Amino acid sequence: MRTFKSILLSTSLLTVGLLTVTACSNSSDFLEVQPRSQGDSQVALSTAEGIDAAVNGIYDRLQSTALYGRDMLALSEALGDNAQFTNKSGRLANENRNIAGATFSNWATSYFAINQANLVLDNVSKITFADTSQRNRLQGQAYFLRALLYHDLSRIYAYDPGVAVAAQDRGGVPLLLTGVADQSKIELPARPAVADVYKQIYSDLQNAINVLSRTNTSAPAYGNRQAAQALFSRVALYNKDYATAVKYANDAINGTIKLSANASYIGGWRAPQNPESLFEIQYIVAENIGVNTSLQTTYTTLVRTGDRTATGGFGDLVPTTVGATSFISDLEAEKGATGTVLDIRRQLYELGTTGRGTAFIECTKFLGKNGTINLDNVPVIRVSELYLNRAEANYYLGNTADALADLNVIRQRCGLPASTLTGAPLLAEIMRQARLEFGFEGHRWFDLKRTGQPVVKATAQGGGLAYTDNRILAPIPVNELSTNKNIKQNFGY
Amino acid sequence: MRKLLFGSWLLSLLFCLPVLAQDAVVSGRVTSSDDGSALPGVSVQVKGTTRGTTSDANGNFSISTAPGRTLVFSFIGYTTQEVAVGNRKTVSVQLVSSANALNEVVVTGYGGTVNRREFTGASSKVSGATISNLPVGSFDKALAGRAAGVQVTSANGVPGGAIQIRIRGVGSILAGSDPLYVVDGVQINSTNNSSFTSNNPLSFLNPNDIESIEILKDAAAASIYGSQAANGVVLVTTKRGKAGKTQITFNYFKGIADPIKKLDVLNTQEWIQLRTENLVNAGTSAEAARANVLGTLRLPTTLTDAEIAALPTYDWQDAVFRQGKTDNYELGLNGGNEKTRFFVSGSYYTQSANVINVNFKRGTLNTTLTHQINNKLSIDQTLKLSTITSNGQFGGPNGGSFLGAGAFSSPLILPSAAIYNADGSYNGTPALGGIPGILNQNVVQVSELNTIRSNTNQFVGSLALNYKVTNNLTIRPFVSLDYRAIRGKNFSDPRTADGVNVRGRIQDQFNENKNFLTNITANYTQTVGKSDFGVLLGAEYRSDVNENLGTNITNVPTPDFKYASAAALPVSIGGTWTGYRKGSVFGNIKYNFNRKYDLSLIGRLDGSSRFGANNRFGFFPSVSGAWLVSEENFLKGGRYVSDLKLRASFGTTGNDQLGSLFNAANFPGLALVNPGFDYNGAAGFAPAQLANPDLKWETNQTINLGLDFGFLNNRITGSVDVFERTSKDLLLPFNLPFTSGYSAISRNAGEVKNRGLEIEINTVNVRAGQFQWKSSFNFTTIKNKLTALYPGIVPLNNPDSTVLLTYTDFYGVGRNAILGQPLQTQFTTDYAGVNPATGRAMFYDYAGNITYRPLTPRDQKYFGTELPKFYGGFNNTFVYGGLTLDFLFQFDYGRRSFNSQTSFLIENAGRNFNALQSSFDNRWQKPGDITSVPRAYNANVETNSVSNLGGTRTLEDASYMRLKQITLSYDVPAAISGRIKASKARVYIQAANLLTFTNWSSYDPEFLNFGSGNSGVVPNSKTYQAGINLTF
Repeated sequence: MRTFKSILLSTSLLTVGLLTVTACSNSSDFLEVQPRSQGDSQVALSTAEGIDAAVNGIYDRLQSTALYGRDMLALSEALGDNAQFTNKSGRLANENRNIAGATFSNWATSYFAINQANLVLDNVSKITFADTSQRNRLQGQAYFLRALLYHDLSRIYAYDPGVAVAAQDRGGVPLLLTGVADQSKIELPARPAVADVYKQIYSDLQNAINVLSRTNTSAPAYGNRQAAQALFSRVALYNKDYATAVKYANDAINGTIKLSANASYIGGWRAPQNPESLFEIQYIVAENIGVNTSLQTTYTTLVRTGDRTATGGFGDLVPTTVGATSFISDLEAEKGATGTVLDIRRQLYELGTTGRGTAFIECTKFLGKNGTINLDNVPVIRVSELYLNRAEANYYLGNTADALADLNVIRQRCGLPASTLTGAPLLAEIMRQARLEFGFEGHRWFDLKRTGQPVVKATAQGGGLAYTDNRILAPIPVNELSTNKNIKQNFGY
Repeated sequence: MRKLLFGSWLLSLLFCLPVLAQDAVVSGRVTSSDDGSALPGVSVQVKGTTRGTTSDANGNFSISTAPGRTLVFSFIGYTTQEVAVGNRKTVSVQLVSSANALNEVVVTGYGGTVNRREFTGASSKVSGATISNLPVGSFDKALAGRAAGVQVTSANGVPGGAIQIRIRGVGSILAGSDPLYVVDGVQINSTNNSSFTSNNPLSFLNPNDIESIEILKDAAAASIYGSQAANGVVLVTTKRGKAGKTQITFNYFKGIADPIKKLDVLNTQEWIQLRTENLVNAGTSAEAARANVLGTLRLPTTLTDAEIAALPTYDWQDAVFRQGKTDNYELGLNGGNEKTRFFVSGSYYTQSANVINVNFKRGTLNTTLTHQINNKLSIDQTLKLSTITSNGQFGGPNGGSFLGAGAFSSPLILPSAAIYNADGSYNGTPALGGIPGILNQNVVQVSELNTIRSNTNQFVGSLALNYKVTNNLTIRPFVSLDYRAIRGKNFSDPRTADGVNVRGRIQDQFNENKNFLTNITANYTQTVGKSDFGVLLGAEYRSDVNENLGTNITNVPTPDFKYASAAALPVSIGGTWTGYRKGSVFGNIKYNFNRKYDLSLIGRLDGSSRFGANNRFGFFPSVSGAWLVSEENFLKGGRYVSDLKLRASFGTTGNDQLGSLFNAANFPGLALVNPGFDYNGAAGFAPAQLANPDLKWETNQTINLGLDFGFLNNRITGSVDVFERTSKDLLLPFNLPFTSGYSAISRNAGEVKNRGLEIEINTVNVRAGQFQWKSSFNFTTIKNKLTALYPGIVPLNNPDSTVLLTYTDFYGVGRNAILGQPLQTQFTTDYAGVNPATGRAMFYDYAGNITYRPLTPRDQKYFGTELPKFYGGFNNTFVYGGLTLDFLFQFDYGRRSFNSQTSFLIENAGRNFNALQSSFDNRWQKPGDITSVPRAYNANVETNSVSNLGGTRTLEDASYMRLKQITLSYDVPAAISGRIKASKARVYIQAANLLTFTNWSSYDPEFLNFGSGNSGVVPNSKTYQAGINLTF
């Protein structure tokens, strides 16, 4: 009897407990904890402020080391023929020797950023903006950034139009155009033809140009109309679509940001923001990449120009100075009567310190220009490129006079005499000027690749690559192949 | 409710009435067989009734009972004794201490205890005495080698640093694998939230305040803790006051710590020779190479051979490794009367590591109070306050190959670099590029000038009310708070490499954790004939909230200004919040028949905010039984078998450690965007994870069969357990194509099996007069196997079609999981040694052929695991009179780890690092040399090859056996100790880690991999100390 009572008592206690738990579980504030330092992705993009923050989130990806923080510039240089590794920290030594697998790894970061752009584009038209120009600006930037990301992916992981090695061609990079905010939206894309990728990039750039305003208010830190036109000229040149390349180069050259003059050219490289940048990835103090992988530490041991007593970074990757493809020899090739080097761009290279070992001539385009060591804005497209793009396109269109005129704009701006070349030597000189103009800005590797040329390097730098070598393309991450059967790995990996 | 209570009282009164009618008073005294001292607080009960009392401060009791009855005397830590009263009026009893026998008391959680005889689960007990007075910052470190099924690994040798405990293997892939720690009923938040130092959330507790530690291992023992129990439960009970004369204890020890090992590295001349050889082998001319090497060392390139031979060598390890010191002071008071008992202790403990400027200081204050309000009500109160200051090593809190970390860098710094200039200042200022070589920071300067510190202030308090409704029913409301505040500080001096360019950097952290718990339990016991019933019912609520604030400010006027107000340039400020809530009900029904057969049923329903909306509640039941075979007639009273018990259990427990520690902790099922994706000073965010509303706990099903035995009058006692722990619904990262915008989504899918055998044996080998030799041995072997990943996972493109999952675990370590293999696998290419003709490093491809360029994943294979095959400990105690010698060997066998510290040291100067002497001596030099060390080659990659440091070359056997502890103590005879009015006095000397047997090639095989292997880890040390305990 007593047992029965006590069991009854305990049972009631349990029931009360159960009821309490169940009752509380039905009310909203028990067992339901909402994060406070993260946001709910279902509502994040439902306001104008949310769209603005989401667009900033895309730029943030571009700042990463895998993209414009380092690799798009320094890793390209390591793979190409401008640079040699110094082994001062050991970084980029394998990339410089073209060891298999030591190459770009921007796939994940790029597609994360593309998804962010897709989410912006999916939602931006659903939201009421008080100011339609704000909507246009954000929408235009998302189109512009998506185009930039797809073009960078395409030139790293796929052959460029017209120069594919047919037997090794596995297609372009997958095109994803819808944002993924929940599991149901996940697609398993195959690799489209490279032409389809370019078609999409064209469309994005066209859309960007249509909605972005003429005034370029946000240049160069944010995507703008002139930058979209400039990128279009680059993309069209890669696509061997020379008329389009000329058209958009013309449009962009007519924009508000102009070519730097001879007198201000070197100074432009010392300013935080290069005056001829059409689009630059900018960094604030909190975003310093630091002493291991910033562009400054990668390229130079110097802290400031002309001061060999203070050692800053590692100076892992420096211009080649000997051999057939020596960058410095190329830069010094044209000399005045007294034997002085004519090219003012030579001033952007100087002897580093011995603080990390033997001193090398180093590139000083990135020297803590933002006022703090290892903190530099990174130009993505400069006005100079428009002239060289237009020169090359005009050359292929047969307009050699126009080509020569643009070439000489660049040559004379750098203190070199006007050229009178024609034919193949003219083209070679245009390519040479591109090499010298964009030294250590990550262009050379891609320029060789899009024109189907081999990479000629000394044995110490791995001996170079034939154009048909599979290492011309980067391997697609193993994760992609194991999660998506529709994706084909690049040849030879 | 009130009516019910009243009803029960009335009922119990009625029940007691007939008994009262025939009373006679029996009185007596209870003493301990150990030393004859009075035992207060012993429960004295009339057998078969509910009548009972407890002995007073002098061990006296009196109870009224009918003649012919039997009295039952029971007390924690002593064998329960039954005494037939007969017609006696006085009964005196001596209770026998029950250490290491089936008679010990098992702490089962929620205030419950049970005699080991009746316990149906698998648990191990470690007494407080075993782990007291050791030079450890936290009790968990002292558990190594003490209990079967419990693997204890120090993350590093940082005093008070992180420790990892794995009970019965690892059953999770993506989720956490830590046991639940419960200290005096308080469920501790054991997450380490310190940004800059290696901290241990359990170091708030002075190990000497611990009475006992119970480790619950199988589902039957642990499932009362439901969704937190899958990785086992560690129940810590602290010391309580004893009624009687107030005892004052004083405890002091002092010790030193020396490095276990230093590494033998090259001198300046050998290094110059080796580095030159690297460059020459890679195609540089001999003269250019020599000039280059001398240039690297910032020496004139014109040095002659004779001048080179005269260059000095500096021993950086000598400068960085120091003799550590330990000091421990404690004062304890304990006493009280029948109504109120107290235990108060205070301690101050300091310990410095064997590496420069790494140390730990702790003050604790601990009080427990037990008060009997009336014969129905009593309260239990505990309060533990602690304040800890620890100075950590430069670099990652748990190691990492950071350039300024002393332990990592000191053997690698170029030997020609001086430590100090002639004037005593540090050599190598940052502006001059520091010292020569890649490791260009003067690690002595960096360690001395920079501050890496955390201050942890913690209080853990609880209050319980025991309401004895009837003699059979107790209701116990309980409330506790575990509060921890950490102030972290990282000051980069403007004179060091990290501070020079920003003119000093100050990073401050403030982290606050509030862990609130309340529960109510009802405990009912009843005896009917030969049957004993016990019922426990409870309900519980827990809420845990963590807030973190971090600042990063640069630009101080001078190094004298170390606080944020002095710094001019704020870089970043970050604040985060996270938390979870949990609500539960639970119950346990126990049944014992005739003191031979036991059955226990446990169930717990847990709801947690961590689980997805569609799976908010989980139910965790278990069933277990035991048969005390030795009580059967065919064994009872036998000569050989004193005790024999068979146990069997089956049950499920859960693991709620979902969500990475470093990411969306506590919100693993929600779709989230993360802030911090800012651009150009404007706020931005980016998607962080996709929603999974079905996300739930991981389920563990454990079958356990156990045998407890005592032979030869319990001179041999022990347990053997076999278990199979199947962990299902494991949280897995379903890897997504990156093209989706995400790398993975967490789902419950995988399965891991841990099958194991545990043996604990305690023997009294010799007992002759004053001499006694006792041994205890424990051994655990576990087979861990990944039995399922998720359906549809694509095998690797290699000949074995390996099904492999790459993931980052709960602790931030990148790992591989291979189907059919144990977790924490090593998956790499097979190093085939050196081509005797050329000196090039060779590898085996998938078919076993030699290749210079193995392909991944084609040529990768499984090469063991970081989980041990077996582990355990062997303890011996020799007693002669007051003299005791005690030593513990601890072993851990079969762990395969990459030796990342050695990996740098065997580059053989391929980069500008110093190298191991053995690697230099054994390198390939000329055709025909047979060796496993390739020729020196700049940057360690020959043309058309992979790195010669790759594959299994740096994969080593991390097995070890060590003399973990050896203690010689002397109990001073009372005649002598009495002269200082001490009732007891004990002096001892002790050493830890005195001997280590291992093939591991760098400092110490005992470390935890937090992602960068063992590089930068402060190694464990050898310690020696002496101490004294006095009781007044």
